[in-house]
Amino acid sequence: MHAKQSPAVPARGAHKYQAVRSYLVGLVEAGLRVGDAIPSERALCERFGVSRMTVRQAVDALVGEGVLVREQGRGTFVAPRRMDFEMRLTTFGEEMRRRGMRPETRVLGMGTVAASAEAADALGTEPGAALHHLRRVRYADGSPMSIEQHWVAVDLVPGLLAAGPPPSMHDALRAVGLDPSWGEETLTAAEATDEEAALLGLRGTRAVLRATRRTFSADTPAMYSNACYRGDRYSVWVPLSAPAPALVPRVREPDDRPARARDDEREAVGALEDGRTG
Amino acid sequence: MSTQGAGQAAAILAGLGGVGNIDEIEPCTTRLRSLVKEPSRVDAAALRAAGAFGVMVSGRVVQVVIGPSVDTLASDLEDLM
Repeated sequence: MHAKQSPAVPARGAHKYQAVRSYLVGLVEAGLRVGDAIPSERALCERFGVSRMTVRQAVDALVGEGVLVREQGRGTFVAPRRMDFEMRLTTFGEEMRRRGMRPETRVLGMGTVAASAEAADALGTEPGAALHHLRRVRYADGSPMSIEQHWVAVDLVPGLLAAGPPPSMHDALRAVGLDPSWGEETLTAAEATDEEAALLGLRGTRAVLRATRRTFSADTPAMYSNACYRGDRYSVWVPLSAPAPALVPRVREPDDRPARARDDEREAVGALEDGRTG
Repeated sequence: MSTQGAGQAAAILAGLGGVGNIDEIEPCTTRLRSLVKEPSRVDAAALRAAGAFGVMVSGRVVQVVIGPSVDTLASDLEDLM
């Protein structure tokens, strides 16, 4: 009996926390606008008959999720909305303009660097090969959204940076016949470094999304990039479809037979395979 | 330039250790995700030479980066399996 009763106490605490949280989420969705203050801690304590600690827990969670933003000494406010990005082979500038927002860029650095092992592998060059490098902060309607870096082999596009930093990397690649046609991107959750937090103007949360991308033009690996998106303003949405059926060899080995019998059959399959492909 | 058509499918299959080494191959948007019996029979250099843009091995799962032509490659592979 004791074992059944003990979870009731934390469950009731969780329920109160949930009530405060749902109330705040409801205010943000229905009543308040971006930049509006939420009710004070004291008002929330009185309204729900809960401790200041429970209220703080609910507010902290919403600050962490980027729904609310806390301003030191001023209070807690409704945070700017997140932006949803579909994973596509587009640039930041293209995505912003499609949303009717004004993209802006601050170039942090530009030059020629020696290819790291990672960049060399992604671009199909030798490690140490000369790569163009461009690093910049991207803004949407004046707010910093991401820090981007791009690497392109100097051999592939010798004059890429000759006229200064290209406003659009995709346009610069198209200009030399390397139209971006497909790519792969890997997303990782991380914490911003001090420098990244300062560049992105992060307050409260330090959560960022790191994206590493290879951009191909048909059979040519054209560009290697990484980006650091602020976690409180940026969401990714990915269209999903059921996977294509897997291809399975026509001759299957029954798994419940002794290992030796399977080995014999494997040799037979090998012979068949040679006959078919050779 | 990468090998094209049925020749590429045969070369990819050989790089994966042959039909006998395959449990299944799942075509994804840009990759072949293969489950092999014996990872030591997979030849990453041969897969690269056959036009793969990357090979990631994790246990018995071998991912081969192909690009959008993975669809046609998958039908060619099916004919050989």
